[in-house]
Amino acid sequence: MNLNTVADQLSARLDTIEGLRCFDYPPSSVAGAVPAAIVSYPERVDYDMNYRRAADRIEQWPILIVVGKATDRTARERIYDYAAGSGTRSVKAVLESGTYTAFGALRVRDCTFDVVTIAGVDYISALFSLDIAGPGA
Amino acid sequence: MTQQHGSDTVVTLGGDDLTAYSNNSQLEFNADSHDVTTYGKNAHVFRGGLKNGTASVSGFYDTTAMVSPRAVIQPLIGTVVELIHQPEGAGSGKPQDKVDVLVTKYTQTHPVADYVTWTVELQFSDDVDSTAQPA
Repeated sequence: MNLNTVADQLSARLDTIEGLRCFDYPPSSVAGAVPAAIVSYPERVDYDMNYRRAADRIEQWPILIVVGKATDRTARERIYDYAAGSGTRSVKAVLESGTYTAFGALRVRDCTFDVVTIAGVDYISALFSLDIAGPGA
Repeated sequence: MTQQHGSDTVVTLGGDDLTAYSNNSQLEFNADSHDVTTYGKNAHVFRGGLKNGTASVSGFYDTTAMVSPRAVIQPLIGTVVELIHQPEGAGSGKPQDKVDVLVTKYTQTHPVADYVTWTVELQFSDDVDSTAQPA
């Protein structure tokens, strides 16, 4: 798998969610760009899923969705839409229904909520963990 | 001592290369034992009989219709085909076991939170040719 292409394709797919600004790498700031999806760096790459470099696997590729102030009701409504299991804003549904050339399989494993600070600003966020498998060579 | 990593293994079944879909394989070589103990002995005495063996290959399921394990192996159940197992990969002079096998079982496992996997179990039929790979 070409990891650059994987990140690009994840970002491009998330960009199909209306109103979501997508970054294919962690930006220094998202001021004025929320709600935003940030394709972050994978925790690790597991090589040799099959013989002869046929397949590799990334069990935890994080996608961070930052929305707005946690005390903002609009932010709550938006982030629950992104975390939903279905719907046009569902990160899981949109990513898993995509067609990709950089890898063969994708599953959104889970979603956790937290308040993150980016460039000194606190945002309510949803962190999605992706399980991705694709060609090794 | 030079170790050999398993990821170099090559395996074909019935002429189809399963290497890219496999991540584990096992060959078991054994023989019948005959107890030929006679009166007056203090311990059992054995002689070897007919040789026998089994193999299993497993890996991750692939959706590629023409060459996926499902497409290749399912039609072979109950038939005898050639298994070629190259534990150090393909190459002149490298070891190889070639044997006709009866395809006895194909299993697919579908866990809800992980990838689909497959396993095929094989019964050796006749002698194993362990001649090294030709040039």
